[in-house]
Amino acid sequence: MATNSVKLLTGNSHPELAKKVAERLGIDLLDMSVFKYSNQETSVIMRESVRDEDVFILQSTKPGEELNDGLMELLIIIKACKTASARRITAVMPNYPYARQDKKDKSRAPISAKLLANMLQKAGCNHIITMDLHASQIQGFFDVPVDNLYAEPSTLRYIRENFDYKNAVIVSPDAGGAKRATALADRLDLNFALIHKERSRPNEVSRMTLVGDVAGKIAILVDDMADTCGTLVKAADVLMASGAKEVAAIVTHGILSGSACEKINSSKLSKVVVTNTVPHEEKKKGCAKLETIDIAPTLAEACRRTHNGESVSFLFSHAPV
Amino acid sequence: MVRNIVVLGGSSHPDLVNTVCHLLGIPNGRITLSKFAVGETRVEIQDSVRGKDVFVIQSGCGKVNDHLVELLITISACKTASAKRVTAVLPHFPYSRQSDIPYNKTGAPLSKAPTYNGGKNDFTFESRPGTPGPMDSPGLGVSHGGLEKELSRIALERGADGGVNGADRGKSHPPTPLRRTNTADSPSAASSVNVNEWVPPKGTGYKQWVAQAGTLVADLLTCAGADHIITMDLHDPQYQGFFDIPVDNLYGRPLLQRYIKYNIPDYQNAVIVSPDAGGAKRATAIADALGMEFALIHKERRPTRITDRQNATMMLVGDIAGKVAILVDDMADTSNTITRAAKLLKGKGGATRVYALVTHGVFSGDAIDRINASALDKVITTNSVPQDQHKRLCDKLVVLDVGEVFAEAIRRVHHGESISVLFRND
Repeated sequence: MATNSVKLLTGNSHPELAKKVAERLGIDLLDMSVFKYSNQETSVIMRESVRDEDVFILQSTKPGEELNDGLMELLIIIKACKTASARRITAVMPNYPYARQDKKDKSRAPISAKLLANMLQKAGCNHIITMDLHASQIQGFFDVPVDNLYAEPSTLRYIRENFDYKNAVIVSPDAGGAKRATALADRLDLNFALIHKERSRPNEVSRMTLVGDVAGKIAILVDDMADTCGTLVKAADVLMASGAKEVAAIVTHGILSGSACEKINSSKLSKVVVTNTVPHEEKKKGCAKLETIDIAPTLAEACRRTHNGESVSFLFSHAPV
Repeated sequence: MVRNIVVLGGSSHPDLVNTVCHLLGIPNGRITLSKFAVGETRVEIQDSVRGKDVFVIQSGCGKVNDHLVELLITISACKTASAKRVTAVLPHFPYSRQSDIPYNKTGAPLSKAPTYNGGKNDFTFESRPGTPGPMDSPGLGVSHGGLEKELSRIALERGADGGVNGADRGKSHPPTPLRRTNTADSPSAASSVNVNEWVPPKGTGYKQWVAQAGTLVADLLTCAGADHIITMDLHDPQYQGFFDIPVDNLYGRPLLQRYIKYNIPDYQNAVIVSPDAGGAKRATAIADALGMEFALIHKERRPTRITDRQNATMMLVGDIAGKVAILVDDMADTSNTITRAAKLLKGKGGATRVYALVTHGVFSGDAIDRINASALDKVITTNSVPQDQHKRLCDKLVVLDVGEVFAEAIRRVHHGESISVLFRND
């Protein structure tokens, strides 16, 4: 039993998700303001005490011009809580930014994911909760504990409730996601297929070939993130050409930057389902095929269990009710 | 060996980088800075930095957070590419002080909408705000959605020039940056609140506080891998102590002193004025070096019901009647301090001409408008922050080049020579 209470803080990146998590936890968000001065520096003003409290700071990535602002907000809030004598500071980052810059794949490339890990720890973070890290090895960049939650249980539930899934095939749009897709296929007892692609430049895809059979079935593309959606759209073309009845996509992080929504609208995808790790409500207005899986209960449960000292492993195989 | 040096420029101040490289006689370090589609910063360094002495020049201006992240990623990339030493050169250091909330022309804080219920509201003219704009129902906790919308609305209004409101000059209503509303969709909520009547939530007795990002930025630079920092006129010289690595805090004072000596006629009879008590030490140093008189403007912090709103809470300590007044400060951000000081000096003080010399001319928001409409005759600043936009919009602006100072500092640091010559007082 904890002697202090949960305080939930957030910046400006994803206020809707923060409200949902707060509701689920049965608390109010901390009374604070995060804004910018006229010289563009970020300012954080706290109106409640966090001394000796269990602080959870929810900040996701907001795609677009303000991504780095969101990052600075998070770091400043962490530092503020540290200097305010919080007992423990947990950064809840449903989508970990710069996760794709995680290796030195060419000369002088920065490993920004590692830099971010260092910065978070230096600012005073004691714990990280995130979801579906692009590469789970990023947990090793940290010296503090990292809880890498899975969207899979929520995804499973969605598939069972919304698709005629007995007639479906789980398809991974690339070789890297094969493990993720096979895990899902095994749980649903379905067949699995894979699309092999060659990538010439970042955010650009060239040739794709299908490995497996999708004829007459509903093809469900599964991936961890959809950014420009070039991959998904081309994959849908290949799958329909190979005889699939319908192609849908389920991704955890719906970043949907640039002209992603137009691409989806004009593609052969019947729907694109994303979780609300990344804010995308605005984009739904322009894209009728977009649907949301709410993972706020998962995050809230993780926070609650962390605070109470209970095991979080329940969440790796069950979606909260 | 000069060949072992690489100077990389961030995207905040390309002109200064070009000047420095030109003075050092080396080509600009080849680096490509952009953003991925999602908004993440992308840094690609084309030159090899293995075993080299790398200097990354980035000023804390414009989109401060973007530039800071760019700087950190570049430093980190150089470190993982086996650079021998990485020095971060920040002509203007970001997050080194607690900024003012922007004010409009009458001095009231712009953290609320500019339509007031006349008479009921008492404004103070302190340049440092007591408390920021209040919330309608304290305790709700979520003031974020409204701010976000406001900021993006402001960004659209302002255009891409980094915050100078030149485009708005034709409009009749004052610009409204940073209006803090409680909920996302209630623009009327802000207009009915009063900054001085904010009451803290009952029963808490808790005084709100602003987070200081100073130590955080110092820690971030160190953990990204910087081995050395070169900057100019830090707002607090004690900031050097936040770092475990060496910090060279260069002085802009010699440049300003030289300007006074050679450009202000009859300068020995002019008076150096500090626009606030905190800058007194800075101003007296220049006054003593040049053998000039000194005066000080003192701001009182008590809110009072005032008739002559602009000047009642500012006192001039010293005599400048019939003399040329030279205001000296380290930074001009919203420019409230220097414009109000100029008004006082020319009005009650009786000065004939007023100059303002500041090292860092940030001039954010509608500062340039304020300067143009003010009693200042000339504003002299350095290009630690890019000044091209500002010069186009303000005839009173004179810009001194700090490229030489930084180029000399970099050259000496690279060769391991002393840089004390840059701290001389002549």
